[in-house]
Amino acid sequence: MAIVVNLDVMLAKRKMKLKELSEKVGVSTVNLSILKQGKVKAIRFSTLDSICLALDCQPGDILEHIK
Amino acid sequence: MKSLKHISVAFLIILISGLGTYYLKPNNPIMMTFHFLIVGFFIFNLIIRKSLSFKNYFTSQYNLFTTKVRSEKSYDIPKELMFEKIIEVINHSDFKLVESDKDKFEILAISTITFKSWGENLYISFETKGNETIMKFYSATLFQIYSWGKNEKNCTDLLNEIESSLTI
Repeated sequence: MAIVVNLDVMLAKRKMKLKELSEKVGVSTVNLSILKQGKVKAIRFSTLDSICLALDCQPGDILEHIK
Repeated sequence: MKSLKHISVAFLIILISGLGTYYLKPNNPIMMTFHFLIVGFFIFNLIIRKSLSFKNYFTSQYNLFTTKVRSEKSYDIPKELMFEKIIEVINHSDFKLVESDKDKFEILAISTITFKSWGENLYISFETKGNETIMKFYSATLFQIYSWGKNEKNCTDLLNEIESSLTI
């Protein structure tokens, strides 16, 4: 896939655990793990908004397009 | 095997019809025994359905009293993660999670009782092939020869639930 998910990078930068993010965002750890691996079919704007809010970042910090 | 099943159904219908005249007589020992055997067998199936150990019994091709449907679906998600995901999906669906075995990577869920059926057993097993996880679904009826399309519906419903859950 040309879209790369950099969630693990952002989590490392913020020194946050996946479980902690899961509690803040309200998305299960299983779903976040699947997202982290870039295996999800789609991501809702509301989920992206919550993640960005919890990690204090921009959508571009989490999602990256590679040619 | 299917023709044997049809023959046994035909035989059962003839047997019930033949014994119908006896059935009309009160306290007939043959019919009472026959009746108790069917009820007993049904209760036996009802008790053992809630265990993964009896998967082979319900899904065996030699079990003529159940109907089963098998389907497969593969995802490029690790087996461990997919196992957790399916448990989550089942908990949020109309199916009821009965048992899960993390060592064998097997899940047993049951569907609700409807006018069409007594509820089906849904067995899910996981296999890894390269980077992919292959999920095998078995939907088997509890004690009925025709599922009225419920087995196929269970597999389709669960697959749809999995697909929609991959949008987070």
